[in-house]
Amino acid sequence: MKQNIKAIALFLFTTSFLISCSSDDTAAIDENTFGEAQLYFDNGVNGDKLILGASYTNSNNERLTINRLNYIISNIIFIKSDGTEYVYPKNKSYFIVSEESGINTINLTDIPAGDYKQIKFGLGVDNQRYLEGETAQQEFWDYATSLDMVWTWSTGYRFINFEGTFTSDSNPESINFQVHQGSNSATDNYREIMLNLPTTARVRMGDKPSIHIIADANVILDGINKIKLSDNINQAGTSAAIMGGENLVKIAANTQAMFKVDHVHNGSGTEH
Amino acid sequence: MKNILFRLMAFSSALILLCACQDDDSYEDIPVNEKFDFKIPDRFPEIKQDINSNYPTKWGVALGRKLFYDSRLSKDNTISCSFCHEQQHAFTHHGHDLSHGINNLEGIRNAPSVQNLIFQTDYFYDGASNSMQMLSVVPIHNPVEMDETLPAIVAKLKQDPEYVKMFRAAFENGEVSSSNLLNALAQFMTIMISADSKYDKYVRNESGGNFSSQELKGLELFKMNCASCHATDIFTDNSFRNNGLPPNLNLNDLGRETVTGFIEDRYKFKVPSLRNVELTAPYMHDGRFGSLQSVLNFYSDGVQNTQNLDPLLQQHSKAGIPLTNEEKEALIAFLKTLTDYEYIKNPLFYYKT
Repeated sequence: MKQNIKAIALFLFTTSFLISCSSDDTAAIDENTFGEAQLYFDNGVNGDKLILGASYTNSNNERLTINRLNYIISNIIFIKSDGTEYVYPKNKSYFIVSEESGINTINLTDIPAGDYKQIKFGLGVDNQRYLEGETAQQEFWDYATSLDMVWTWSTGYRFINFEGTFTSDSNPESINFQVHQGSNSATDNYREIMLNLPTTARVRMGDKPSIHIIADANVILDGINKIKLSDNINQAGTSAAIMGGENLVKIAANTQAMFKVDHVHNGSGTEH
Repeated sequence: MKNILFRLMAFSSALILLCACQDDDSYEDIPVNEKFDFKIPDRFPEIKQDINSNYPTKWGVALGRKLFYDSRLSKDNTISCSFCHEQQHAFTHHGHDLSHGINNLEGIRNAPSVQNLIFQTDYFYDGASNSMQMLSVVPIHNPVEMDETLPAIVAKLKQDPEYVKMFRAAFENGEVSSSNLLNALAQFMTIMISADSKYDKYVRNESGGNFSSQELKGLELFKMNCASCHATDIFTDNSFRNNGLPPNLNLNDLGRETVTGFIEDRYKFKVPSLRNVELTAPYMHDGRFGSLQSVLNFYSDGVQNTQNLDPLLQQHSKAGIPLTNEEKEALIAFLKTLTDYEYIKNPLFYYKT
């Protein structure tokens, strides 16, 4: 008898567990409800953690000490497995990630409940948005200015501000480098980046998935295109600057592989 | 009885509503805004800027005009836009080859004219901006022009009740903000259209548009020799070209390359509009020529074959455009028909009206 009770209890326990599991999975998602999501940008360098002031050697045989990594993330889109997209409202969809300022998270609200399998975002500011001027950009210009993400000698945004010092065979003494990625009135270097999520991001009312993205600063110069800082040293030999020309187009191609989603935390109130 | 009560209630609630409305109005005291009425000239090329997202309004234009003439846009409150863009010279800086700004610092370029901007794709001699709404950022921040920042200007203007009132009248959100500041300037520049010169009257067959035989000859010469770059009725094709000016090594101005970073853009500068050219001396990006005569002498005899020299200037045995003295005089007579006296006198573009 005692055994029987135990067996029944076990049976009830497991079935209730099973039922609760299956009911969760098949429960219709009420698409008229909304939840939140978070993108967490974990900056690294070729598999190592990015530590400002620390040095990294790349495959161009140059040793970079990185002092700044800021970039603009924009136009975020959530994509379900059936391909349907939720486009986050454009006028709220411009953000800056800044290692030095400790800004690594983007919090998004009012996303329709759903199971999302991919995300898409822009690196930089799209030309359409830029040409719409300040009306459309709201106060983003002021915000970007405060984080050193605008050019003022020409009118444009820095999509990536990547700075520090470096040494190479041609300059054993370290000198400054500045990589300012952006568009200008000759080339549009805004690019969209599409990322698969290894696990579904479940957006529900009260649930806030946190999508953990690893950003690899190394590929900016050392990706499918190899860009040597030592080829971009000024005539006086005092610093290397990449702010225009073909290099910006190459960097735009490199940064297609700059981001990948490492994992997704699901649940309510998840913060990275 | 019931009926009367109902009527009474309806009446009193209507009264309350009315009172509330009136109250609101007198409290806010926002002047009524309306679309600014301006005309796009028929013969002009299509509008190249998105003016609908920031369409000029009565108060937006008035505010933009006030800002254009306000030296608080510079760091030490001494330099306004109008300092280098004077109306009587079609909004250029007369008497200076290189325009100067704050602390009497000198730039490396001659201030270009402000006119017909919405028909253009790029601004500044190197194309530093392709957006009319954003272009004011450049002179405001340039350390030798105004050396100021948008948030600092906004902080100054917020202290001025008249500006607070005008921003409120001009924009839906009513804020004194950097975006509204740039938008107001853009609205003002949107309506700065010059299309009433003798040439315009000539092409429109209006009175006052009779060309002399010399002017007609100049027009023919212009069409043959100049109009491929100084194209359409705004007299620029919006391109960047190296016209063979010997580089001034003291300035070492690389032109368009400064913006794009492409070596094939070295020494290329934006083809300027020739409207009001009689008034916009000195000429060229560095203001090296004091007269139209000198400009034409350069094109006939001074063009140097530097890197990226425009192919259109290499069609003859010698680089440049062969012109006799008589032809130059005819060309100058034609160029003077591009002067728009209405534009330089128009009180709409002057703030103390």
